[in-house]
Amino acid sequence: MKKSQKQLISLKINGQEYELAIHPNRTLLEVLREDLTLTGTKEGCDDGVCGTCTVLLNGAPIRSCLYLAIEAQGKEVTTIEGLAEGERLHPIQQAFIEHGAIQCGYCSPGMILTAKALLDKNPTPTEQDIKLAIAGNFCRCTGYNKIVTAIKAGCQSAEGGQ
Amino acid sequence: MDNLLYVGKSIPRKDGPAKATGRAEYTVDISLPGTLTGKVLRSPYPHARILSIDTSKAQRLYGVKAVVTAADSLKIKHGFVETPRYPADQYPIAVDRVRHVGEEIVGVAAVDEYTADEALSLIEIEYEELPAVFDVEEAMKPGAPEIHPSHEMVNEPYRNIGGKTETSWGDVEEAFAQASLVREDKFYCQMRTHAYMEPQATVAYFDYSGKLNVWTSSMGVFLKRAKLARTLGLPFGSVRVLKTYVGGAFGGKIDLFNHEYIAALLSMKCHQPVKIVYSREEVFKGSRHAQPLIVELKTGVAKDGTIMAQKIRTINDSGAYRGSGVVVIFLAWGFAMAPYRVPNMQYEGYSVYTNNLVHCPQRGHGAPKMRLAAESQLDMIAEELGIDPVEIRLKNARRPGEPLPNGDSVKNFGLIECINEVAKKTDFRNKYGAGKREREKDSKIKHGIGMGVTSYFGGSLVYPNSSSVIVKLNDDASVSLITGAVDLGQGAETVLSQIVAEELGVPIEDVQVNAADTETTTVDIGSWISGLTWVTGNAAKKAAAHAMKKLLDCAAEKLNEDVNDLAVRNKEIFVKHSPDKKITYAQAVAASIAKNKGDSVIGEGHFRTMKEEPTHPSLATAKGRWTENYSCYAQVAEVEVDTETGVVKVLKATTAHDCGFPFNPMLVEGQIDGQVSMGQGQILSEELRIEKGCIINPSFLEYKIPCALDMVDTAYIDVITEKYSRDHHFNIKEVGEGYVSGTVAAVANAVYDATGVRLKQTPFSPDRVLDGLEQIQKKIGK
Repeated sequence: MKKSQKQLISLKINGQEYELAIHPNRTLLEVLREDLTLTGTKEGCDDGVCGTCTVLLNGAPIRSCLYLAIEAQGKEVTTIEGLAEGERLHPIQQAFIEHGAIQCGYCSPGMILTAKALLDKNPTPTEQDIKLAIAGNFCRCTGYNKIVTAIKAGCQSAEGGQ
Repeated sequence: MDNLLYVGKSIPRKDGPAKATGRAEYTVDISLPGTLTGKVLRSPYPHARILSIDTSKAQRLYGVKAVVTAADSLKIKHGFVETPRYPADQYPIAVDRVRHVGEEIVGVAAVDEYTADEALSLIEIEYEELPAVFDVEEAMKPGAPEIHPSHEMVNEPYRNIGGKTETSWGDVEEAFAQASLVREDKFYCQMRTHAYMEPQATVAYFDYSGKLNVWTSSMGVFLKRAKLARTLGLPFGSVRVLKTYVGGAFGGKIDLFNHEYIAALLSMKCHQPVKIVYSREEVFKGSRHAQPLIVELKTGVAKDGTIMAQKIRTINDSGAYRGSGVVVIFLAWGFAMAPYRVPNMQYEGYSVYTNNLVHCPQRGHGAPKMRLAAESQLDMIAEELGIDPVEIRLKNARRPGEPLPNGDSVKNFGLIECINEVAKKTDFRNKYGAGKREREKDSKIKHGIGMGVTSYFGGSLVYPNSSSVIVKLNDDASVSLITGAVDLGQGAETVLSQIVAEELGVPIEDVQVNAADTETTTVDIGSWISGLTWVTGNAAKKAAAHAMKKLLDCAAEKLNEDVNDLAVRNKEIFVKHSPDKKITYAQAVAASIAKNKGDSVIGEGHFRTMKEEPTHPSLATAKGRWTENYSCYAQVAEVEVDTETGVVKVLKATTAHDCGFPFNPMLVEGQIDGQVSMGQGQILSEELRIEKGCIINPSFLEYKIPCALDMVDTAYIDVITEKYSRDHHFNIKEVGEGYVSGTVAAVANAVYDATGVRLKQTPFSPDRVLDGLEQIQKKIGK
């Protein structure tokens, strides 16, 4: 495969500006993981099905494996690395830990970001809202029960924290 | 009963923050300077002779650092089972012949993925195609293409027999003659895959000291080391398998995989780190999948439903190599005999080679298929006899202390209580039959309830058989826990920390875990055969107690008191009758070091199941003990079936279980939920479709695993039959595998209750359900 010409782009990720020279055919997932070593974002299927690679773009969840890095210019990208403030975990991260919503942890970054996007938009979701929101994020370990519980708890603790 | 601080508590997992923040390093995240991309060229043919391999063009490509074929290897075979009866049967890189689509032939390492892909395209291989066979029953026929010669100990005129298990007791034919009802049924269980979210990945680095360092997504680092060392011809001490986080395994990451060997071989050739990462498509098309099984089950019962005899024949498609095929036919027998009393039994199981992908264990390893067959048939028998499903199970369930035919005892077996409790909690007796009553009505949605029962073993003797643990007390009395255990998501590190914290009386935060490194940690049984908490846990308990004894002895001397008069609280050792007389743990550590002229405080502990048993039981005859621990459970599923679309929805799954006692209830619940979900996928939607040995649905779009919208409402009832106390080892039981089986069986029975459709082929996809409904309509029509 012949490589294309590199392009200079700038990305804003977790509030930080990055200037990069990349081939335009590279996905946001590849650039996050390989160029910026933000390896918290994982690849699960490379088909846009499993949701493992979810990041937030202007607050909305997207599949970074299907999204070209050059398209993310001028937008705010949030990855799992951008959620905690130093050692202080985001309430959703805390809720996932406390409620047993994490087992192998491979789907957790994408799942937590999807949950954050939901709660930012709708602070008091019903159980069905939660299930719908995370329907595109596969988890093979938990059966989803404890994830749903954690997201419910996460919205309560987020409220309490405000 | 001891007043427990940590054991039995829902302690959040220790690696939670690392995983929740994305800082946990999985194999794919390991990056060493100069790491090359490794790729594997795989066979496009299901069965072929390799006439020639020309890699010269690939080798000349700019950026290619190494190319390996069988010519670079020692041609030492490996196998999931390696015993005198079942010697290893698979080369780690194909030698002269390929037996399945996707078999590994050439490895390349290059500076980037593009170059590695291009190098693969430049490799020229000449094949001579050979006849292939994909259906397991076809493969057994005398005229079938020969994949491997049939096992020399198998006398029947079948082809491609990789192995056979045969066992019997009592007089089956006599019992059938006396039985008031005899049923014969045949069940077909499909090919499935694990669908771990983290695709297979390996990083291998053969460094200049002559050591091979390997990071690989695995279920047990010591097994990987042994198989890598042996096939590569390296001393064990020169192979180091290091810890990485594991993104799910479910049985699919036990064995040595050829890509792991190839990554190592490439790195040995070029002395640079080589990373091989599977795409999801490659996982589907080239990795090992779960064992399919055909179960022929003949059961004779007395008028009251008491099982008098069973005759069972299982046929397993192991794929192109033996994989775990000879294990699944052995285990299937055990899953038939453990939960219910079967006074007369005749069992034979065949593992058969086909030109399909190689098959390996998946959570339950035969139990879901055997329990689906046994529990479905038991409900059919109950209906014919007019007995309710709860009664027939209570009648046959084993009681505490019953001996098993292999010499084991079920010991404190809580199955009767499980069945009673789950029936009570779900109001089973009232709900059962609602489907039949609804059947007359016009509603297109039908409801049903069903029960499934399973018993599972844990911690049997399989290499490396035992676990050792070291507990170090540092100068400030903080604790280092050293274990070879792999935490693949089940929470091994958390549970082991709970045990050590409990024994030492220190906060769990004080326990730092150093795990899963073959060079710096101790041998471990591995995160499989469901025995880690028991085997490694007891080793950890002994190690902590050993360290604690050193501290207490030293404190007794220092305080000039009898050691039996001492007690501990808040990291202080005090005298029971005068609590003001005390020293801190840190002071006791210092005193111990001073007394022993510098020797630090280290505790060691070792544990093995059935220490007196020489080896594992016979795979051929099923003779020999399995374990000391049998868990058991009764599970109830409530479903609704849309009779227009054939879609089955599992609404609720209730589990009453005896896992000994729940060490960490939150983790136990997580295991049960995960298994209910996996069971739901297995019985309703998951199936690998194969065309001429090639997987034709190699993505999550076409292979449907449950998503959040399919989430089953779960409930649990703990039937606790064990306890944890400080003065002797504990006997907890399995909680991570067998619950898939009960779910599968319960859903099958619930679908029947709802619709009258009794399916004997999984999965119960909408078309099969509709087909079943249509056949009922036809019958009624007549």
